[in-house]
Amino acid sequence: MNNLKIILIVDDASLVRLYYRSILEPAGFRVMEALNGVEALEKLQSVTVDLLIVDINMPLMDGLTMLETLRQKELRIASTPALITSTESAEKDFAAARAAGANHYLVKPIDRDALVQFARMLCGEPL
Amino acid sequence: MTDAPPLSREEFQQLCDYLYRRTGMVFTETKRYYVERRVHERMSATASLTFPSYFARLRSNAHAELEHFINAFTVNETYFYREDHQLACLTNDLLVERTRSKKAGSSIRIWSVPCSTGEEPYSIALWLLENWPLVDDYEIEILGSDIDTQVLAHAQEGIFGKRALMRLSPHLVARYFSPYQEDQWKILDELRDSVRFSVVNLVERNDTRRQGRFDVIFCRNVLIYFDDASRRIAAENLYENLLPGGFICLGHTESMSRISPLFEVRRFSDAIVYQRPAGGGDHE
Repeated sequence: MNNLKIILIVDDASLVRLYYRSILEPAGFRVMEALNGVEALEKLQSVTVDLLIVDINMPLMDGLTMLETLRQKELRIASTPALITSTESAEKDFAAARAAGANHYLVKPIDRDALVQFARMLCGEPL
Repeated sequence: MTDAPPLSREEFQQLCDYLYRRTGMVFTETKRYYVERRVHERMSATASLTFPSYFARLRSNAHAELEHFINAFTVNETYFYREDHQLACLTNDLLVERTRSKKAGSSIRIWSVPCSTGEEPYSIALWLLENWPLVDDYEIEILGSDIDTQVLAHAQEGIFGKRALMRLSPHLVARYFSPYQEDQWKILDELRDSVRFSVVNLVERNDTRRQGRFDVIFCRNVLIYFDDASRRIAAENLYENLLPGGFICLGHTESMSRISPLFEVRRFSDAIVYQRPAGGGDHE
């Protein structure tokens, strides 16, 4: 059980966190949660995770600011892969996410299978 | 329990008038047993020896007696996934229609009133998680309101017994609840946090207005306790609480057409629902 990959979901909507968790846990991931960027960065100080799933629009610290901050940190934290999720689907949003350090971008609503597939891929798991 | 004497006709009438004015609920001599039992319970709880002394306490609202009194009179029969054909209607039809004109990421507001101990608003959250693939695409806000502050406290705790969960499959219970004490389960924190609660009296316009406007309102099995006049006031208040084009679901024995002409009847495959017309102005 110890080698389960750990995913940190960063989203202010509790239903969304629960929704992703209900998809990812049965797929064999360990899931942690944070309500915003500030809380996520705090958690990352003490835990190493295999993947971040980050919403863009959040109070206190939005997802892109969080990623920018994250990429400046020491290597253990800075090198965490990040999947951005958002309802925004314009090319400029994708570009902004890439610039902030996102590894991949999925537009909500996210299909259950797609979420598991990208989570596996970004965690370096066999598909 | 004290052996308090029965209420006189005048006392009974006085009390029912008072209850009506404060809550819109109607009780008559045919419900004397029901009313008297609760009054005697409250007299005993407050060590009031006579009805006049209890009634004085109630009217002065000493030690929030009005709240206790109202709590004793509300009916709180509820369980998860009660009348779930309406929940099916919510995801199959109502939300499909409501989201047609909404941008992704915008808010969807759903109101459960009265929500009693929380089974209904939590059922809505649970149902959406299980049956609505757009759950992460909109800002879903679920509000549960009730006139009874004790049931709201219970709702906020999110602890339920066997009876409340009887309609849920073991799979759903295992997924969204954790065992608490014997024969009790606690709802997952995220589900609990997805619902907000507030105190609302449906015939008090100030109360209802404060809750804002909703895409869908579930208002089941409460209007049956009101008389015609309060029913109309409640219906008008609820109309104002709907966004134009918003929907209201009543209990299966209730009909809005008999109460107010403001709403349009919509027949969907799973349920009959009432709608505030898309171009419907404010009711004044």
